[in-house]
Amino acid sequence: MTRAELLLQVLIFSLGFFYALVYYVRVTEPVDLQAVSDQLFAYLTSMLTAAFAIGIINLTRIHWGNVKGRRPAWKYSLVLLVCMYGMAVASMIASPFAVDPQNVVIPASLVSLVDPIWEFLYYKVLVSVNATIFSLLAFFIASAAYRAFKARSLESSILLVAGLLVVIGQAPIADLIWPGFSSIRDWIMAYPNTAGQRGIIIGAALGILAFSVRRMIRYPWGR
Amino acid sequence: MQQSIRNILNPSTDNCKKSAYVMFELAKGRMAQALLLMIVLTAIFAASRIASKRKLKTRGIPGIERLDKWIKQAADLNRPVFFTPGTGAVTTPDTLAALALLDHVAKRCAELSVRLIVANADFNVHQVTEDMVRNAYDKAGNGQLYSSDSVRYISGRQFAFAAGVMGLLRREKPALNIFVGDYQAEALEIAEAGRDEAIAQFGGTSNVDQLPFFMATCDHTLIGEELYTAQGYLTDDPHAISSLVGPDAGKIIAILLILAGALLASFGNQLISTFLKL
Repeated sequence: MTRAELLLQVLIFSLGFFYALVYYVRVTEPVDLQAVSDQLFAYLTSMLTAAFAIGIINLTRIHWGNVKGRRPAWKYSLVLLVCMYGMAVASMIASPFAVDPQNVVIPASLVSLVDPIWEFLYYKVLVSVNATIFSLLAFFIASAAYRAFKARSLESSILLVAGLLVVIGQAPIADLIWPGFSSIRDWIMAYPNTAGQRGIIIGAALGILAFSVRRMIRYPWGR
Repeated sequence: MQQSIRNILNPSTDNCKKSAYVMFELAKGRMAQALLLMIVLTAIFAASRIASKRKLKTRGIPGIERLDKWIKQAADLNRPVFFTPGTGAVTTPDTLAALALLDHVAKRCAELSVRLIVANADFNVHQVTEDMVRNAYDKAGNGQLYSSDSVRYISGRQFAFAAGVMGLLRREKPALNIFVGDYQAEALEIAEAGRDEAIAQFGGTSNVDQLPFFMATCDHTLIGEELYTAQGYLTDDPHAISSLVGPDAGKIIAILLILAGALLASFGNQLISTFLKL
């Protein structure tokens, strides 16, 4: 390990240990460690947020390169760039995140002109398109379920039957056919499903613990 | 200076109480957590040392063993490998585990001269992946294969990211689609698009709500802790194998606690649950 790597590792370990200590022990004097950790976290958040420009630069570079080189689907890249910068400018002028809410520099007439455009683009276009992509999930779930629920083995047959019972139990008509469907659904969700999920969560938590400790100390496991 | 030291050593003076007294208290409701954490960490270290000394063999994860084969298949077919490390921030454990896997995948792709495309949803993750992939290709002597288009930032918004990745998958038609990390509802959309376009699909997450969709669409899925231990299988370091045994030791402690607590609670004894609330 080089000196720089060692220094970095000491820093990582110190910060990790500090946050773990603050979580379990409240030290109020002579220094309020909780306040120190909150402040450190605020600095970290600021540093991470400042990197958003990297994303914008990367998007601009790739899609402008597509437009300049007339690569396949370059027109979509042009639409992306126009929408990205157009929305950014409109948001800066007239939105809840406007840079000049007091209209010191930007005239109020421009704000009142851009405001309905921004509202249309956000509420009628962006939110709607978001909902459209989200709604694709319904069809994808159906196609994934069609592929997955096949009685190839004992386990897949049990999965098929359990899935069928839960789906029927969820339907409003289930109680009209037979009141027991809701109870079966509730039992499956409350017991086997919850037990399986908790087992995975416990395993994942222990994996995270070992992974995090290994990252903190780069412990040569076994030596 | 000497006076202040004398004050600290002599507990009878008022100055000592003001200057040497540190106010601290154990956080309420976390004492048992801290104790359990120390026990589990001790078990993890001990199990790892024992496993390393006895050179224990662990069960393999079939998908991990086939990962290299799939990358070689991509090289034979002259098609790229597609990788997405999830939509989580760089500070989430799932994303860190995904980056550890990307390190291996990037090295293998660079060695086999396979084009690797990485799509990111977080700009901080983007910086890390860009650096990682570029270094991998430079070290393998295939720097000419890396281009600025290889690692892309798509969008921070969930479904804009999903739409962007779906479009990339349909245009690039990779031989292997790897998506591991922190995923929410967009996972199924990426998985379905990948299933249509890619020959093989490899997924992994610890989000229990999304795991069923991964299982239904991927050729292999890393479930929960397998995501964090995957790196142990991929490295050639024999000591890394012992890191796979450590979490199993923690699981044994968890199982014993659950059994003891359930048994005692069945007889009306709340000892374990009271202890855990300390």
